[in-house]
Amino acid sequence: MMKKPFIKELVAFLKDTVSWSLSGGIGYQLFLCLLAALMMLGVYAYFIQMKLGLSVTNMSDIVSWGFYIANFTFLVGVAAAAVMIILPSYIFKDKDLHKVVIIGELVAIGALVMCLMFVFVDLGAPWNAWHMMPVIGLFNWPTSLLTWDVVVLNGYLVLNLAVPAYILYCHYCNRKPDDRKYRPFVFISIFWAFGIHLVTAFLYQGLPARPFWNNPLMGPRFLASAFAAGPALITVVLVIIDSVTSFKIDARIFNKLRRIIVVSALINLIMLFSEIFKEFYLPTHHSLPAIYLYFGLKGHTSLVPWIWTAIGMNLLGTLTLAFNPGQNNTKVLFPACVLLFLGIWIEKGMGLIIPGLVPSPLGEVVDYAPSLVELGVTVGIFALGVFVVTVLLKPALIIEQRFEAHNGSETV
Amino acid sequence: MKTSTFNTGLIGTVTALFVLFSGWAVYAGEGGVTRIYKNAVTPFEDEKRVDASLASPNSLVLVETRYRENPIWTETRKDKLERFRCSQCHNNKTVAVKGAAEMAHGVIVLDHGSPERPLSCFTCHKEDARDFLEPEAGVKVDMDHAYQLCGQCHFRQKKDWVGGAHGKRISHWVGKRVVKNCTSCHDPHSPLFKKRWPATYSPPYKK
Amino acid sequence: MEPRNKSDCSKEKDIARPQGKRCGRRAFLKGAAKAAALGSAAVLTGCGTELLGPKEALSLRWQEYFKKNYRLMTPEEKKETVRRLERLAKIKNNVDIKMSARPPIDGVLFGYAFNVTRCEGYMECVAACVKENNLDRKTHTQYIRIFEMEHGQMSPDSGEGKFFHEVPVEDHFYMGVQCFHCQNAPCVKACPTKATWMEPDGIVVVDYDWCIGCRYCIAACPYYGRRFNWNDPHVPLNEMTRKQHYLGNRMRTRGQMEKCTFCVQRSREGRLPACAEACPTGARVFGNLLDPDSEIRFVLKHKKVFRFKEDLGTDPKFWYFVD
Repeated sequence: MMKKPFIKELVAFLKDTVSWSLSGGIGYQLFLCLLAALMMLGVYAYFIQMKLGLSVTNMSDIVSWGFYIANFTFLVGVAAAAVMIILPSYIFKDKDLHKVVIIGELVAIGALVMCLMFVFVDLGAPWNAWHMMPVIGLFNWPTSLLTWDVVVLNGYLVLNLAVPAYILYCHYCNRKPDDRKYRPFVFISIFWAFGIHLVTAFLYQGLPARPFWNNPLMGPRFLASAFAAGPALITVVLVIIDSVTSFKIDARIFNKLRRIIVVSALINLIMLFSEIFKEFYLPTHHSLPAIYLYFGLKGHTSLVPWIWTAIGMNLLGTLTLAFNPGQNNTKVLFPACVLLFLGIWIEKGMGLIIPGLVPSPLGEVVDYAPSLVELGVTVGIFALGVFVVTVLLKPALIIEQRFEAHNGSETV
Repeated sequence: MKTSTFNTGLIGTVTALFVLFSGWAVYAGEGGVTRIYKNAVTPFEDEKRVDASLASPNSLVLVETRYRENPIWTETRKDKLERFRCSQCHNNKTVAVKGAAEMAHGVIVLDHGSPERPLSCFTCHKEDARDFLEPEAGVKVDMDHAYQLCGQCHFRQKKDWVGGAHGKRISHWVGKRVVKNCTSCHDPHSPLFKKRWPATYSPPYKK
Repeated sequence: MEPRNKSDCSKEKDIARPQGKRCGRRAFLKGAAKAAALGSAAVLTGCGTELLGPKEALSLRWQEYFKKNYRLMTPEEKKETVRRLERLAKIKNNVDIKMSARPPIDGVLFGYAFNVTRCEGYMECVAACVKENNLDRKTHTQYIRIFEMEHGQMSPDSGEGKFFHEVPVEDHFYMGVQCFHCQNAPCVKACPTKATWMEPDGIVVVDYDWCIGCRYCIAACPYYGRRFNWNDPHVPLNEMTRKQHYLGNRMRTRGQMEKCTFCVQRSREGRLPACAEACPTGARVFGNLLDPDSEIRFVLKHKKVFRFKEDLGTDPKFWYFVD
């Protein structure tokens, strides 16, 4: 007898969520239409790739991983960064950050969806993807790091879907969520977030064939850059929410996020300096990839302007956030976070994958730039990610606002 | 109190076991394929284990040197010489055909040895028995066994050839060991390989 | 906690209805549906020509799609898949191939030695390998790379891999690189689906149909030993080698990894690989490492051998030596 109302509640919850996510002012509708158009562009580009094969990308036997995996690597970090909000709000019981935990988790979902999509479009034979499943195929766990990656990414997606869904559902039905039901999963997700990014880092770190990647600093560096770029993205999202919706974000929250970003970004810069020192103090044969990246090698200099721009943006963003000239004014925070995000995106995406593969194991140096098809698919996937975040955020914010209105600003 | 000592003991045991296990794994894995092949001392019985047909060239001759008592065969040479039985001309009678020397030996370019001390015909060919080769005075070597002559100076290459590090095995890695003889690859009169164009090339990277 | 029932939830919904226009939402949904319909139509028309085809080919491909990893197949299943592939080749290209699923020979571990003094850069090995293994002619896929190097360094990094002029050049030497069939292969460890493994006779092989094309193995290989089919490989029918092996030189499709297999279709029948047979100078030595009387063992015992990037611990079964 108790079941029926539960199902009816659930159906009502789902219906409302969908209707809230798709309805809104004209600006919102246009935004969703734009995203849909970009996603269609991505589908079309992927369709070309399916028809003609991966040769329509600019990848080759030397640069065997390109723009797709670069974006995947970066976005795993962004996904993991939700932990930088979950950690203070649940372990240190920070009330301010608790208000925006849900936003962090939803951004993480968007990032994870993008990660999984990037891996999927990069596969040469995606129709064979079932070969990786444990029972029906052969799952080379624990030997292959890729299988670890599959496990942790999907697990993290499930965690990040289940916990906010439960909390939002309870808030929708205007009751407090049961702590015992979801807090263990939150704690698991804290460790799991570190796990996903360490596993992704180990994917590269564990290859002695690629000296640019085969250093112990990859894991910590990944974490540091993720915890700078992720909260930077979350800050950007919060600024947007603050300016276009009625969900107001307090300046204290921006300040706390800013401090988290600054600490991580500074650690990231220290690690960057450590890497640069190792490569350039007494350069060896193993330093050729770094030379290719920062200065060009044998006339191939395509990555040089990108990496220096990235470092410049990284430094500028970090210093702006550190010295905080606007006193947490969102007009200053927004561009600083965007700069930092883009800088880390370049450096951790293309600036990590391509030098790892160039020069080839036999010393050949080639250039790589993504082809139009790769760009099209990437744009489509980014649009998908933004779409997922938008479509999940809108009803979530509405539910949160309603819950607060009814119950005052109590913490859950 | 009791649980904490138990915990410490447990952690200590597990760590010790892990260290021992890793040490064993590293030690056991050491040597790799080198250790595997160095420990492989039993001869490989071809006939029992390879069931594919192993054709070999028709005319072979058994080589008179061996590596580890294993027979090797090599190709014959006499059937490949157009004008063999040199004694058809080189005998007590005079040669009646005009320009016979040019006809018979015109294709030969002699470029063996250094420019300062080149070899002459009779360095290798037996003057009084033209069907044979002469590594040293009085010794007769059949043309099919020319390796014995070549090996007199090129003894390192001969040792390598008998063992398998020089020269080429004909078409199979198992079964009757048939190898190319010296003159299969090297023209005995100008043995150095000539310059030539490669059979193909690696195209420049396009993208 | 108050008892929950439907009416309470729906009342909340009415109060909190957002400002959006109904028309806006409907119009958006309509547009999205149209776009989805168009998109799926486009996809279907594109795939249509491949999906349809002779019925037998369709049924064979269906069965092929669901088969297991080669290592897990019983000998009957292996025979079955070989038969299906032979039949598919006949239907698709009207070519009679003879495919084998020959297992490894007992007591054999293949090893290879390359004489750096004897290689003159003729690249006969490369040409023979391309022909024997049905490599893609369009992208000039080559498993073997020959480097022209100046004296002073032994690393291909310092060499020229794309030379095309009369060889040998004065004061240069030549060195060939290919998959070294490592005993401790990093590519085998990296593969997430176990599509590549080392056979008992030492050859590292790929089950092409099992590969998902993630290319992690290329990242893991320190020797540039592996190749990926970025598009469908093209081999002129009159140049195709008809005698094939399931793990060796059968025709691949796009999205599959491939690599040198020490000519498994030849070596398991006792024949030398195409490269070793084609070399005019006898610079390549191939044989059974477990046979103390073999030529490869003679080389390893009496010659000064070294292996490429030995410090990486991959334990390759390919040695270089000098005279």
